[in-house]
Amino acid sequence: MNGVLDVALRLLVVFVVFLTFPLIVGQTEHKVMAHMQGRLGPMYAGGFHGWAQLIADGVKFAQKEDVVPNGADRRIFQLAPAVALLPYLLVLLAIPIGPGEGAVGQVLDAGVFFVLAVMAVGVLGSLMAGWASANKFSLLGGLRTAAQLLAYELPMLLAAASVAMAAGTVSLPGILDAFEWWWLPWQIVGAIVFFVAGLAELQRPPFDMPVADSEIIFGAYTEYTGLRFALFLLAEYAGIIVLCGLTTVLFLGGWHGPWGADGLGWVWTLLKTAILAFVVIWLRVTYPRLREDQLQKFSWTLLVPLSLAQIALTGIVKVVIQ
Amino acid sequence: MSLAAPTHGFLSPTGVEIAFLLVGLVTFGAALVSVTTRQLVHAALWLVVTLGGLAVEYLLLTAEFIAWVQVLIYVGSVVVLLLFGLMLTKAPIGRSPDADSGNRWAALTVAVAAAAALVWVVVDAFRATWIDLDGAAAGSTKVTGESLFQHWVLPFEALSVLLLAALVGAIVLSRKAKADAAGPEVPGARDGQAAAERAEGAR
Amino acid sequence: MAPIPGSGLAKGLAVTLRTMTKKTVTAQYPDVQPDLPPRTRGVIGLFEENCTVCMLCARECPDWCIYIDSHKETIPAAAPGGRDRSRNVLDRFAIDFSLCMYCGICIEVCPFDALFWSPEFEYAETDIRELTHERDKLREWMWTVPAPPALDAGAEEPKEIAAARKTAEKLAAAQAEPQGGDT
Repeated sequence: MNGVLDVALRLLVVFVVFLTFPLIVGQTEHKVMAHMQGRLGPMYAGGFHGWAQLIADGVKFAQKEDVVPNGADRRIFQLAPAVALLPYLLVLLAIPIGPGEGAVGQVLDAGVFFVLAVMAVGVLGSLMAGWASANKFSLLGGLRTAAQLLAYELPMLLAAASVAMAAGTVSLPGILDAFEWWWLPWQIVGAIVFFVAGLAELQRPPFDMPVADSEIIFGAYTEYTGLRFALFLLAEYAGIIVLCGLTTVLFLGGWHGPWGADGLGWVWTLLKTAILAFVVIWLRVTYPRLREDQLQKFSWTLLVPLSLAQIALTGIVKVVIQ
Repeated sequence: MSLAAPTHGFLSPTGVEIAFLLVGLVTFGAALVSVTTRQLVHAALWLVVTLGGLAVEYLLLTAEFIAWVQVLIYVGSVVVLLLFGLMLTKAPIGRSPDADSGNRWAALTVAVAAAAALVWVVVDAFRATWIDLDGAAAGSTKVTGESLFQHWVLPFEALSVLLLAALVGAIVLSRKAKADAAGPEVPGARDGQAAAERAEGAR
Repeated sequence: MAPIPGSGLAKGLAVTLRTMTKKTVTAQYPDVQPDLPPRTRGVIGLFEENCTVCMLCARECPDWCIYIDSHKETIPAAAPGGRDRSRNVLDRFAIDFSLCMYCGICIEVCPFDALFWSPEFEYAETDIRELTHERDKLREWMWTVPAPPALDAGAEEPKEIAAARKTAEKLAAAQAEPQGGDT
């Protein structure tokens, strides 16, 4: 009975995190983006500086009609948002926020592989949406999504593999247990490659060609309305949380901090994740969208060689210190 | 593979065994649908279900590492590549009238023969061995890595040479197409290259 | 010197970060009224006491959006034996703001300073016909006309003040001279 309660409690906590953190990131994005552009952002909803704007948005989305285009592949069209969203919920289960068994949803032996595998499944949702919408713009968006995924998953995997090599384990808490502060400069190239490739996989600006609104309307999500559209948006923000959390755990030492690591480790994790989320927003505001061919070139000619070099470096240092 | 628990019978299945059977049935059904459906993209998506089902079976056999790699490589990459290819064709929404080839009987024969060979090999190799699911995981990353790089290094390297050959072949093919076109890069050539590099990544 | 690769990217990040720390320029309009300068082209107010129905504004208006009706009244002679005078009396003065293009020519041509710009701009209507505002409404807007901005420190003094001062000085001089002549 106690075990069941424990599992239920963990699932509940992860679910609550899954529902609230993306909203917090979304609200932060509204505000930070506005101030970076000399604006104020939402000010009305909820009274104090528009804190309830995203809740109001959610209510609006829920009220809207759920339209399925006439020529669409009905079932796949309706299934796609769930396929896009659920993997991120699963990934959150595996991310440890503090030391010990109590601070992670589920300890997995091959955590790195689990996380990357499940994140790659999420992109299937966009592909299904792009194909099933019976819309040329959606199809183009789906194509771009697929091309982008193929190009950027490789550097992401290689960068993660570098950390796994350094730690000698593929379990996420195991990597954190092995972490030392000098891993930071040692793995910095891998960290940057991982973060950038992750941004591309989430289709965040400046890598948002699959949804480029000035070219193909909204890519694979063009035909979506109401709650299903909101689910896609939620998936994007949940993806930001997952990416930032993963980068924190893999490269920035998770719960390790200069001081107060005992008992307050989860604060460090959350702080690092929040800073990274801010960086995601910051990059979005600052840089214009890359062109599709620039995107492919960037990955194959820069990120992949960089990540391979990082693996070589990791291997050399690993052998030397043994 | 730990040795058999002595008191095991077919008539008192455990929960894991029931789950294994049910997932196996679902996987088999999905595989059947994916080869018989006439909607091309649906076939690819049923393939996702099939491969995912296989991953669950691996998980039930405590081979966690293999399961996640299965999802990562097959669901995350191969099916995405497949869908990418399908989107480049004129696959209609709904049934494709011409999605049928004349040699379905030959295909069936080959499939049955391959399945029979595999089943025979597995049965011959393991006989009545039972996996002890309660003990230490027999398929953890550590165990898998040790057996792969201590007992099975030679096949592993042979496979990697095979993949390298495929990679070089893909590059050669795409280069040739480029020289023939004698103009700016042919889109098809680029796809071939991407696929080749993908294959390397998968390795 | 060749720039360091990526320095442009860093510069971009610095720009956005610096902007974030600066004060925003957003106007919180319905909550905070905008602080508009005098003579903002919001609406045209009519100071009808000054209007002589000369019709210049209506004739100069490029949109023909000013409607003026009037009649003549005869004012009996003020002094016995004098002549009766006739005077124009304004009956209707209306501006159709759905036609007006806020060029301000009417205000420029008015010889008697009867038309003024007011910064008042919140007069949207749900029906386009209700945008034709009559003289009472135009007169009310006169109360929202702010005082004209002060002149620059080194500017020439206004004509009417200059004229008044000149007259006053002349008068003073005329009064002072005979006294000076006496002594």
